[in-house]
Formats: sequence, structure tokens, C-alpha cells
Amino acid sequence: MAPKYRLIYFNLRARAEPTRLLFAAAGLQYEDVRIRRDTEWPALKPNTPMGQVPVLEVDGVTICQSNAIARYVAKETGLAGKTNLEQAQVDMLVDGMGDLRGKQAAIRKASEDKKDQCKEELAAFAPNFLRRYEELSGPHAGHLVGDSLTWADLEFYDVMAKVLMYLPGILDNLPKLAKVMDTVPANKGVADWLAKRPETPH
Amino acid sequence: MPSYKLTYFNGRGTAEIVRLVFAAAGTEYEDVRLEHDQWPELKPSTPMGQLPILEMDGTMLCQSNSIARYVAKMAGLAGKTPLDQARVDMVMDGMVDMGNKFAYEIYYEKDEDKKAEKKKDYVEKYVPQFFSSLNKLASDGGYFAGDELTLADIAFYNMVTMVNPYLEQPLSLDGFPNLEKVVDNVTSNPGIAKWLKERPETPY
Repeated sequence: MAPKYRLIYFNLRARAEPTRLLFAAAGLQYEDVRIRRDTEWPALKPNTPMGQVPVLEVDGVTICQSNAIARYVAKETGLAGKTNLEQAQVDMLVDGMGDLRGKQAAIRKASEDKKDQCKEELAAFAPNFLRRYEELSGPHAGHLVGDSLTWADLEFYDVMAKVLMYLPGILDNLPKLAKVMDTVPANKGVADWLAKRPETPH
Repeated sequence: MPSYKLTYFNGRGTAEIVRLVFAAAGTEYEDVRLEHDQWPELKPSTPMGQLPILEMDGTMLCQSNSIARYVAKMAGLAGKTPLDQARVDMVMDGMVDMGNKFAYEIYYEKDEDKKAEKKKDYVEKYVPQFFSSLNKLASDGGYFAGDELTLADIAFYNMVTMVNPYLEQPLSLDGFPNLEKVVDNVTSNPGIAKWLKERPETPY
């Protein structure tokens, strides 16, 4: 029987990876479709809600926008936050992480002569940002919100794994955030996925 | 019932979507508008050094769309089923993209020639294509999710009216009948209609 969920994206981590981490953490089966940008995307594009991927197909409905998809899957897997307030806190932390993700992605997208400037911008932005996140991080060690794994932890792990490539010591004096980086891969589903997921440029 | 306190500057900006949801929900809230010189003192105590923030029951939330979603959820305006909620979220995110594209490619562009070119492209190519996609997502009753007003409909109305003042003419909904209905549904909602009449006139 085909899985109920079909996630379609390019063969990249990027905007689909938090959703893949959610499925993995919960052990929920899904079809991880990776399309070729050159040969397959042009035909698919007009059939997507907003001409973009990732999309998630479920029960005859197609959802687009990576955070909308991730939030839906987080709710399906019980990883969205346990109360309405916790869900709002998860949402706001994920929203904020968009800024960090953007600064890190800018380095990759920049032309060679601009890369150093983008790296400096990340180095200037990250410390204050992460200091605030350390303060916002909840009292339960290893979890940004509540006392168990949420989408916020997975999103944080995904972004920080990339940020740490440029700023390796940045979590040294931020113990709660550093602990999240341990807690996430300690989840068996996540660990299995990290070990077997395709190698991709980003 | 908790007491809600929304804090932003004296403008619509990124807070207006929250104010519109409160209006549609008929929920009382304190609509705090800071002078710019009051902001530095408050800033360190906010979660991410930004506005708007929502305070309730000793908790502070930030990020305008997260706040809007929370308030909408409390009022049953965030979508009735998980899939409807995902539809609402995707439309909200799409509207943010539309706003960001305007802001980064046009509003912040200093080169006047580039600015004019990008504006033309936005109005003549990008928006019609995007509205065409959105028109398919909206029902012919004028709802993006289910058959009742949700945050998605409000987000559409809010972003379009946010961008319009910066253009030579308001964005056209000709050929997008479902989107015209969405706007009707939003502006004829009693709470929103009242708010639109009463809200302060502000430059942004």
C-alpha cells in the first residue's frame, strides 16, 4: 500500500529537510520524491499550487510552502507542541530561525567575491540571535519548547548544522542550545535518517 | 478569559494582520502603539528584539504570523481540520512572499531605473501569475479553506491593501472572481468592517 504522504522536492536537503526530519523522528512512512530540476520540474511546476516545491500530497490535497508543510506534518506526528501556547512558541522560534537560515544560505548563493562579506554578516548576526534563543529555550534540557522533541528542535538542528560549519565555536557558551544539538540526533529515527539520507550539496 | 496586549509602532505594518484577526474574532485586546523613542527601552525584554509582541498571562509571543495564527486558533479562524489549517498556513506564507518580494526588490531599491523596472515586472507579470494561482486555491464562495472566513482570507486582503498604496494603481482583481469574493468576505465581516472604519489613519 502506498504511503499516505508524498513529499516532492529537488534532490537537496534545503527547504524539505525539516519535514523529512519530522517524518524520520516519528517513524512515519512517506514517499520521499526527488525530482530533477532540468527534466522533471518544468512539467510539474504548473501543477503545483504556487509554482514551487516542496509540495506535500496527502488525501488528494497538495500543500505547498515549506513551513506550512512542516507544521502540518509536525501536527500529524505530535511534534508541533502539546498546547496551543506551546505550538505558538514553536512557531515563533521557527519563524525567527528563518533569519539565521537566510544569512547562512546567502553565503552559499553569493558570488565568489561577495562570499567573505556574507560570512562576516553571519558572524555579526549569529551571536546576539543565539544568545536570545538560549534565553528563550525552555527549562527542559535539550528541548527548545516543552519537555519533549518538537519541530523547533529539528529546525534548529538543521540550521545550526550548517551555521556551525562557518562558526564552529558559536554554541560553546550556550549550553541549552548545545544540548539540543545532542538531543536531536539521539532520537533513533533521526539518527537512522542522518546515516542513510542521500549526500547532497546543500 | 486572558487579557491580550499587542504592542507595535503606530502603524499597520506587520501588526495589522493580528489586529484584523482580533477584529474578526470580536476579541478584546489592548492595542499599544509605541512612539519610536519608547522602543529602545522595551527592546531588550522582547523575545527577539522585534515588534509586534503579544503579551498574555505573563507570556510574550513574537513573530507576527505566529501571533496571528495563535489568536486565530483561539477564535476558530485558523482552519477547522488539519488539512484546512495547512491550506491557511500556505496561503499566509505565500502572502508573506509577495510582500517580501515587494519590499526587497522594489521598496528598498535605491536605483530609480531598476526600481521602476522591477515595479513594472511585479505588477504586470509576478502578481497576475500569483493571483492566478491563488484564484484556483480560493473557492468560488471566496474562501481559501473550508467555507468560512479564515486567517488566510484576512492575510490576502491585508497584504494586497498593504502593497497598493506604493503602486501607481491598486492591484487589479479583474479575472480573479474568487479573489474578489475573498475581499468581499473579509471587508463585510462585521468585526473587520467596524475596525476598518475606526482604525487610526497612519502613514504605513
